[in-house]
Amino acid sequence: MDAILKSDLQVKDVATETKSAVFWRPTAQTGLVSWLTTVDHKKIGFLYGIFALFFFLVGGFEALLIRLQLMTPNGTVLTAQQYNTMFTMHGTTMIFLAVMPLSAAFFNFIMPLQIGARDVAFPRLNAFSLWTFVAGAIILNLGWFMTAGAPDAGWTGYAPLTSKAYTPDHSVDMWIMGLQLLGVASIAASLNFIVTIINMRAPGMTMMRLPVFTWMTLITAFLIVLSFPFITVALVEIMMDRLFGTSFFEVSGGGMPILWQHLFWVFGHPEVYILILPAMGIISEILPTFSRKPLFGYPIVVFSGASIGFLGFSVWSHHMFTTGMGTVATAAFSLATMAIAVPTGVKIFNWIGTLWGGHISMRTPMMFALGFVWMFMVGGFSGVMHSAAPADAQQQDSYFVIAHFHYVLIGGSMFALLAGIHFWFPLMFGRKIGEFWGKLSFWVIFAGFNITFFPMHFLGLNGMPRRTFTYDSNLGWNPANYIATVGALILGVGIFIYFAVMVYTYFKGEKVGKDVWDARTLEWSLPNPPPEYNYRVIPTVHARDAFWYMKQNKEQIAKEDAAHAKEEAAHGGIHMPHQSIYPFVASLGMLIAGIGISVIDNDPTPGFWGKKIGITMIGGVVMLAGIYFWALEGNGGYHLHPENDGDETSGKKPAKH
Amino acid sequence: MRLATILSSAARWSRAVLAVGAVSLLSACDFNFWRMDGHQSTIKVEGPVAKSQLDVFYVTCWVTLVIFILVGAVLAYASIKFKARTPEEEKAVPPEQGHGNPLIEIGLIGASVLALVIIAIPTLKAIWYTYDVPEDRKADTYEVTATGYQWWFKFDYPSEQIAGAGALSTANELVIPAGRPIRINLRTVDVIHSFWVPKLAGKVDMIPNRANHLWLQADQPGYYWGQCAEFCGDSHAVMRFRVIALGPKDFNDWLSQQTAPARDVAPPRVATQDAPKAQFASLRTFKQNESGITAKYDTSPLDAWKAHQFPEKGENPALIAQGKALFKEKACLSCHEVRGHGFAGISGPTLTHFGSRSTLAGGLLENNTEQLHRWIHNPESVKPGNKMAKGYIDNNIKLTNEDEVALVAYLQSLK
Amino acid sequence: MSSHAAAGTIDHHHDPSTSTGIPNKKLMMWTFLASDCMFFGALISTHLIYRLHPAPGSPSPKQIFSLELTSFSTFILLMSSLMMALAVTAIQKGNVKSMRWSLLTTIFFGSIFLGCQVYEFEEFVKLKNVTLTNSMFGTTFYTLTGTHGIHVAVGVFWLILMYVRSFQPHEAGRTFGWFFKNCLHIVSIVGAVLLSMFAVLGVVHTLQTGGTAGAYFASHLWMIAGFVGCIAVSIGFAQPKALSNFGEANAIDVESMGLYWHFVDIVWIVIFTAVYLIEYL
Repeated sequence: MDAILKSDLQVKDVATETKSAVFWRPTAQTGLVSWLTTVDHKKIGFLYGIFALFFFLVGGFEALLIRLQLMTPNGTVLTAQQYNTMFTMHGTTMIFLAVMPLSAAFFNFIMPLQIGARDVAFPRLNAFSLWTFVAGAIILNLGWFMTAGAPDAGWTGYAPLTSKAYTPDHSVDMWIMGLQLLGVASIAASLNFIVTIINMRAPGMTMMRLPVFTWMTLITAFLIVLSFPFITVALVEIMMDRLFGTSFFEVSGGGMPILWQHLFWVFGHPEVYILILPAMGIISEILPTFSRKPLFGYPIVVFSGASIGFLGFSVWSHHMFTTGMGTVATAAFSLATMAIAVPTGVKIFNWIGTLWGGHISMRTPMMFALGFVWMFMVGGFSGVMHSAAPADAQQQDSYFVIAHFHYVLIGGSMFALLAGIHFWFPLMFGRKIGEFWGKLSFWVIFAGFNITFFPMHFLGLNGMPRRTFTYDSNLGWNPANYIATVGALILGVGIFIYFAVMVYTYFKGEKVGKDVWDARTLEWSLPNPPPEYNYRVIPTVHARDAFWYMKQNKEQIAKEDAAHAKEEAAHGGIHMPHQSIYPFVASLGMLIAGIGISVIDNDPTPGFWGKKIGITMIGGVVMLAGIYFWALEGNGGYHLHPENDGDETSGKKPAKH
Repeated sequence: MRLATILSSAARWSRAVLAVGAVSLLSACDFNFWRMDGHQSTIKVEGPVAKSQLDVFYVTCWVTLVIFILVGAVLAYASIKFKARTPEEEKAVPPEQGHGNPLIEIGLIGASVLALVIIAIPTLKAIWYTYDVPEDRKADTYEVTATGYQWWFKFDYPSEQIAGAGALSTANELVIPAGRPIRINLRTVDVIHSFWVPKLAGKVDMIPNRANHLWLQADQPGYYWGQCAEFCGDSHAVMRFRVIALGPKDFNDWLSQQTAPARDVAPPRVATQDAPKAQFASLRTFKQNESGITAKYDTSPLDAWKAHQFPEKGENPALIAQGKALFKEKACLSCHEVRGHGFAGISGPTLTHFGSRSTLAGGLLENNTEQLHRWIHNPESVKPGNKMAKGYIDNNIKLTNEDEVALVAYLQSLK
Repeated sequence: MSSHAAAGTIDHHHDPSTSTGIPNKKLMMWTFLASDCMFFGALISTHLIYRLHPAPGSPSPKQIFSLELTSFSTFILLMSSLMMALAVTAIQKGNVKSMRWSLLTTIFFGSIFLGCQVYEFEEFVKLKNVTLTNSMFGTTFYTLTGTHGIHVAVGVFWLILMYVRSFQPHEAGRTFGWFFKNCLHIVSIVGAVLLSMFAVLGVVHTLQTGGTAGAYFASHLWMIAGFVGCIAVSIGFAQPKALSNFGEANAIDVESMGLYWHFVDIVWIVIFTAVYLIEYL
């Protein structure tokens, strides 16, 4: 950990006097305390990335077990219940603990750099989001170590299967509570990103000059803020059913389980775009960089992203075409779903337009990005097939759907995120991943992915339903399943190569100077790894591809920077926020309360006080204390006076309030 | 499920992978995964509803394929044509920094909308067509009610009322008249299930507190595979069923057979003692998840089904009588109905004409001596979490091999 | 822009440190409220959907509701919004003392609203036999109004914290002794709010059941004593002469809290319409 830190951020001798006797102001730059108390968006982004990649591997392992079970008919690798647990946790893990936090890692690390900010708007809230995410992840996965077992009701958790009557153990409680905390984390993070993007742009960085990745971050954040409340309510309702015996989804009390599906998918469909829009943003950064020309049709790409986000709220029922909605509703959602294909298609046209006439250098990030465009096209087209409700009646809940959403989630989101890691790795760590191994991992992943998922289209059309732990040998599904499993193993090997190379590069890779790709956006103007304060001088933005403009107009920029630097020095230097432990404490309290609510048994004896109530209350008190101390300690902060990039001497000044 | 149990079965995985890998590599030469002509194919359809859905699928398929080829060709061309092949090319003066062309954008948006209209029109038509039986065929419609249970299907025939017993009811095998529209009311008693016979119609869910329906029609007499398509708990994967479409005469015969009370086999006057042990000298053990369907249901399933309608040769009346007694003694009757024999359980599938069904355990196993024995012997190993296994424990039911043999004989006699 | 902005040294309508001029905290609060809007939207929808699909044997809300009481509490909550707005105006002018009184009034009104809700729930459960679990109406009604009540309670707690915060001394004075007093101050006000609420509910019960004043005082003596004690302690801590670092610069904190408070009020208006008034249409 310490080694990571030292290479990551230069250790500075910043003496920060303790502000008062009451509040602990940690100043550790290395060691566990520095990570637990950090408010630096780059470190937080890094932690998000580490956790996400860990869970990505966990989810991948679960997927391999699923594929091994289905390799041959009548497989016996897993029992029925183990299999159900695997696909439930695979889905939940990949969506909430892998793709979303990996996107969040980029939001955190890259977005503030792209808009020329020194941090996010609320650095401590950012830390709180991170640790609450970790708390949710822990609760979600606690079941592996308990007799109740991990959740096994599917990632969609359809009522009434999740009700007390059909899942009496705590597995579903953990699923509910885990998702609830992840929701809190996501909403808090998104509020932060929205304010950051709207309010903390460098001078001249107008909205229509924002890099597309930042735009997609903004839209994603809005989607999270507006869609997560629905799943929060759905989870609250199912939790009330389970804990207090209400009858939201309890048929005997007049409940309608269909309501769960509506609430879930009003969240669930925007969630799909929450997963894919950041990926589209990353692609929209990589393609122009490696084609060495601006993004084709920037405003259209931005507006199509926004309209995808907007339309995303009006198509949720296309996940429910088989629930007997009636003709008119089905037709309306069918047409709305087709409509959403237009802005999506527009993006693909613009990416191709970006390539057209460029000087394309086929580096690893570009390979992944082009792989994304191809795979996303395949996934998009099978998506159009689902939008036709009658055809979907056959495809819904079959392997055709599995093929579709893995094409958009792996071939789409994951390819883009893997591309993003390659692309920004030099900026984050000052080292570049070798081309040979990078390209090798791409081709193995690409081949393995297609071998796994392409045959699933045929499986689905041949009538294989999803979420089945076994199938008979006489249904014509044997070859495709066998090939898919072989493909999954190849994909596993590809992912292994990818990560092995990444870890190797982190420690031993080729060191590179700044702006290794001849890139276009502001973050590349920074030395790598970027200093704690990001920008020594807040840049002035003159054009859409801000850094490209800077490279063309060096003199003008140098003059402006000098003027800016003077102005800032007059204000006391670079203001940095203090580290704080209280966001972590608040999250810890949520973890304890969450465990109390979801894991602890109700005491058999009547009466208010018991173990469950007690632990929940303790958690609540810890959380409240964390939040209150966090509020009282204040922003605080100290000032830095770097002389120039990469070699700063730090001075100290009394803290400004 | 605990982590520990997963880790402890690691050895099992590796063995399975090795064995399976070796066997399957041998058959790798006829890997034709693109064939979509299985029992549950949505492509080789046999009814107008599935046909209409397939037609829409083909429209979407062709439209998207054409667009994919066009766009893909341009993408491939651009990536190859504009690729920098040498380091010098990479470092060359950057191309013109153009920001796009609105006319191209508008043109492409228009083209996409047009393509979608091509898809939308047949889609809308098919939505209305597949939703309910067309007006002009309403008179000819036959109505049944399908109810989902964890994990089997119950089928009721409201138009076939039996005096004193309500509507005709059967389980896991839906027998319908061929060539007539069938309107199926979809209900469930527990969680959400989904009724799916791919060759006849796309699925519609059975949702608690919601009255769904679908319609389908089998153009020709035939034997169709179906399966629950909405995850419904532990044994979702093995919740299957069949639809058997019969010509008018066969269907009427079937109805008159089913509406009659259960068949009685007269017990012999003199008790014979030999039979039970002789029949099941050794109890075959089955592997976990082992397939329970023989090939005759792949080659000519309808004939196999029809052949199954007649009493078995070599029935042992003594054994059957013993089985009937056991059915009562071992509390089978608390869940299962055998109309005419005084057994009236309702929570399990009716067994009145069990012997005439081609499958058991929710369409999972073929209804023959071996498989029926397997099922009765250890239901949990066949359908994890099912209520019959739980019933054995709750009622402390213990069956000896002889008991099982007798019960099998009795159940098979219920034609 | 406006007169009071000119009076102070801080422009409360434009924050020069942000790109848009909107203070970060305000922008975040607006965005959070958008999120909360969806949250209540989903809850209200649930209630309305089950209202359209009543389970057989569900109670008739008209016979359960007491429209007079709820109208009264709605009015009180609206008045609390007015006081909240006065608090914001006061602090924007740098008038801490006036802000404190406005905050206290807001707390007072908020507590009355909460008290009415507690009374209402108790009434429904005990007299009308509508519980959380015995009917779908109870399930959705208590969940929706209860969630709103929690929002109000959080708001009241926040108001109390802000009120106490306004006595916070400058940095040098923030010692353990101060921190201890600070916590005690909060506890005493929270205690005063809770005890007064239950004491007043006791009065209502006594009136309803025809109990005597003597019996009331006998059984509620500790409550009243506790309430008086809490009030005394909080008055003791609320020394106007104490130096505080709370001033016009903190207006944005009060304003953000005000946004939350107004939002919660508006949500109540919607709930009052969609849950209560709709039954009388």
